[in-house]
Amino acid sequence: MFIGCVILAVAALFSPERITGSLASGLRQTILVPLVWLQEEAELGRSSRARLQTLMAERDSAAYAAQVLPSLSAENERLRNLLGLSHRLRTPYVAAEVLHQAQVTDSRMLLLNVGTAQGVSGFDPIVAPEGLIGVIWNASRNTSVAMTWSHPEFRVSAFTANGSAFGIVAASPNSAGTDAYLEFRGVPYRDSVVPGTVVLSSGLGGVYPKGIPIGKVVGVIREEAGWARVYRVRPAANPGSTAHVLVLTGRRVLSVAEAYPSDTLEPAAPSDSAAEPRPPALPISPGNPPASVPGRARADSTVKLKPKPKRAPPDSARPTPAPAARPAPAPAARPTTPPAPPPAPVRPDSTR
Amino acid sequence: MNGSRTARLHLAIVFAALVLLHFYVRPRLFDTRLAPDFLLFGLIVFAMRSGPGAGALAGFLVGLATDALSPARFGAAILADTIVGYAAAWGRAVFFADNVLVNAGFVAVGLWLRDLILLIASGTPQGQLLIELGVYSPLQAIITAGAGALVLLAFRQWFAVRLEG
Repeated sequence: MFIGCVILAVAALFSPERITGSLASGLRQTILVPLVWLQEEAELGRSSRARLQTLMAERDSAAYAAQVLPSLSAENERLRNLLGLSHRLRTPYVAAEVLHQAQVTDSRMLLLNVGTAQGVSGFDPIVAPEGLIGVIWNASRNTSVAMTWSHPEFRVSAFTANGSAFGIVAASPNSAGTDAYLEFRGVPYRDSVVPGTVVLSSGLGGVYPKGIPIGKVVGVIREEAGWARVYRVRPAANPGSTAHVLVLTGRRVLSVAEAYPSDTLEPAAPSDSAAEPRPPALPISPGNPPASVPGRARADSTVKLKPKPKRAPPDSARPTPAPAARPAPAPAARPTTPPAPPPAPVRPDSTR
Repeated sequence: MNGSRTARLHLAIVFAALVLLHFYVRPRLFDTRLAPDFLLFGLIVFAMRSGPGAGALAGFLVGLATDALSPARFGAAILADTIVGYAAAWGRAVFFADNVLVNAGFVAVGLWLRDLILLIASGTPQGQLLIELGVYSPLQAIITAGAGALVLLAFRQWFAVRLEG
């Protein structure tokens, strides 16, 4: 048997390639088919495992990208809004990035990545596509600190979009955290403001140009001595979630109303901390007084659209100091500037 | 069913398992060059429990399958496996075939001998021949002997394998 096998093996060794090739091919296609199939399956399994690892790596990469995508989309949207605002602005401005800090007071004072080297100086207004953010508190060479509307000492002279009421807007002392609101103070008792009314900066005082959206009136907080009302205002812009802002560097900017047309006066994004459900819009009629002044406001005072001449109080900011030379005071130690002398009455057609 | 038929049945089952291991598991788990050669292990196990003629015939068939599946020189594996099967059957008369270490040693030597004949018969150049026989073949022989020892221990009841020397 052994000799026979060896002879056959040697014969196969020295057989022509044509014969051995056809013999091997015949074996592979008949008897060895199961073995070839087994080996194919094994190779397929091995390559499948490699492909699975590749696919898992790609899936992990895609999952990581998907996690980042919403924030990128939101930032893209903010930048587009900011770009639209910058196109509408006809005043000098500097685009800045907000460097948020991990502190609970981050929304009161913001650190910006622009400073005097970029033309920023103290008391420059800061705006976002949604509206007013605050004002430059002090500026160093490449960075600056901004006081936002949520700071307790923030003040801005404001008026309603229809020009019916003037007052001072300040941060509500009772609002904190997720319930941040502004107060529209000093509105005469006879001038009721309908909920939903947009409040704009009046331009009085020389710091904030006229026409920057501040927020929307959502109701009455209290009355002061029976002659004035304090309204609650939902802020238009949220400093806590703002990543990019514009610093208005023009010194004698009187109005930026063209940068905020009426169709852009929308409330702040729902992700902000000041979000609150708005009250339903009520039809204004003589028999249906607005909900902001329940039982107190007369119906005919709420439907008045023709503005009357008012004595508009100015905002609290001082006119154009030298911020670079001025030492930066601590926010808590800085006293609120007393109101300036009352300005001349504002003509109705100048408010809008 | 008598003992001889039972032993042959066990051997067939183990050989089928080895074929499965060789053609399905080995490509998935091991690097091909150093992977254990389960076919040669099965051939030696079969030859050590059979006569020289049956061992030579088994070697011939295993070599035929190997030559048909690998595009080397046809007949080289047939010759090598035939000689290895015949020698393994004769080795049973010389050594204690029921010891696991002896079986493992047979497998290692048989694989190296198979590679030697295969490389020479297929006309391998001398430099490559030395590298193959000095490096790769000994490594593969050790790996195959280890894997074979594990298989023998797993089926030691069927093969009547002794653990002590």
